[in-house]
Amino acid sequence: MKRNWLKIVFAAFIVTLLLQFGCKGDGSKSISNDIEIPDSIFNDKPLMISKEAMEDIIDNISSPVEMAALLKSSGVPFSQKMLASTSRIDDLNTNFKQALNLGVYGCDLGYLNMYEKTGSVITNMTAIKTLSNELRIGQFFDFSTIKRLATNNENLDSLMYISVSSFNNMDEYLRQSNRGNISSLIVTGMWIEGMYLAAMVAKDAPRADIVERIADQKLVLNDLILILKNYQNDPSFVDLIAQIEIVKKEYEGVKITYEMGEPEAKEVDGMLIIIQNDKQHIDMSDETLTSIIGAIIDVRTKIINL
Amino acid sequence: MKRILKIVFVLLFLSSIGNTYAQSDELVNVCALGIGNATYLKDYKVKLSASSVSPPTAKFNVILNKGTLYKFTVCNAEGYSGEAVLTLRENVKVLGSNLKADGSFLTGLGFQCNKTGMYSINISFKGGKAGAAVAILSYVNMK
Repeated sequence: MKRNWLKIVFAAFIVTLLLQFGCKGDGSKSISNDIEIPDSIFNDKPLMISKEAMEDIIDNISSPVEMAALLKSSGVPFSQKMLASTSRIDDLNTNFKQALNLGVYGCDLGYLNMYEKTGSVITNMTAIKTLSNELRIGQFFDFSTIKRLATNNENLDSLMYISVSSFNNMDEYLRQSNRGNISSLIVTGMWIEGMYLAAMVAKDAPRADIVERIADQKLVLNDLILILKNYQNDPSFVDLIAQIEIVKKEYEGVKITYEMGEPEAKEVDGMLIIIQNDKQHIDMSDETLTSIIGAIIDVRTKIINL
Repeated sequence: MKRILKIVFVLLFLSSIGNTYAQSDELVNVCALGIGNATYLKDYKVKLSASSVSPPTAKFNVILNKGTLYKFTVCNAEGYSGEAVLTLRENVKVLGSNLKADGSFLTGLGFQCNKTGMYSINISFKGGKAGAAVAILSYVNMK
């Protein structure tokens, strides 16, 4: 009798636990019926840098939304033709291809949201849904809410928030479940796509602020290569690292110097703002910029044609 | 019997972790509503124990970009006495904090970044009290 009672208590806790973890990060409150097999089972080789250090590096990399915001605030008109086509989704038949392209579409989603192109958001979200389901992380996207917000053209701030936080939650989950390889590919895809959008604008009409943003991303490149090198036992990663090393090589012509200053505080519209008085100077020739743009376009073209 | 009780204890512990995750996600959603005319970029969840000797600090590194006005919004979780102190640093240099000289807190702290680089967001709780909080990093569109 006592044993049966304990079995019931045990079973109840298991069910409670499954329900709680099943809901994590899922705005739609739906519970996946799929049983997930962590990639760590297949990917248990020791990392070159610690998991903590890798998480820290991935966290460092700027959000692609910032690049889209820069393009918009600089007065760059929206261009649908710059975005990756979603027609090749079915050809993306490995986790490597899926994760890289999920990053690309994630960046494009930020760009579409930024320009309030809600009609195209649905097409883009369909691709994201397919890829994230293939990667067993679809539970982090509340597709029905995103679709409703996009279709009704309502509350665009919420649309942006849900889109960005879904990617953040998904990334956090991937790293916690020892799927840092997938996380690093998504981050790489996002960064490359953000750089591609900026490069395409700079190629046609170099604007000072966009050119400077391209140049100062030199800081991110080393970090990106460092996290990818963790997985260089995988031949697909070797190719990708080699492509990004080419971009890094082109960045050797970029010199960044700083002039130090003391920060000051100002109150603007009721908010205390710390104004940084350091100055950043970029020294980059037109030839170097052209080479960087070319290298970025090459990598991005390879990613979307995998 | 003892073994089963141990398993139940572990499950209870894991269950409480699950609850903490759900609560912190909820706090992020609530906090994100308070960022005003800014656009959400990232969130940082912190839960620290009390310590009277050396208040523990959570540190997050982030690359901030030149030409962007960032905003940090801090929200404390209910059920804890600790109030989160967010300090923005560049290496060892303190750039700003949400804790004012008079001991009161700012609801939002802005940072006009003029140098792309690595910055650190440090979060502790005033007086070394136990606390849980969420900090939202957003940017303000100035143009």
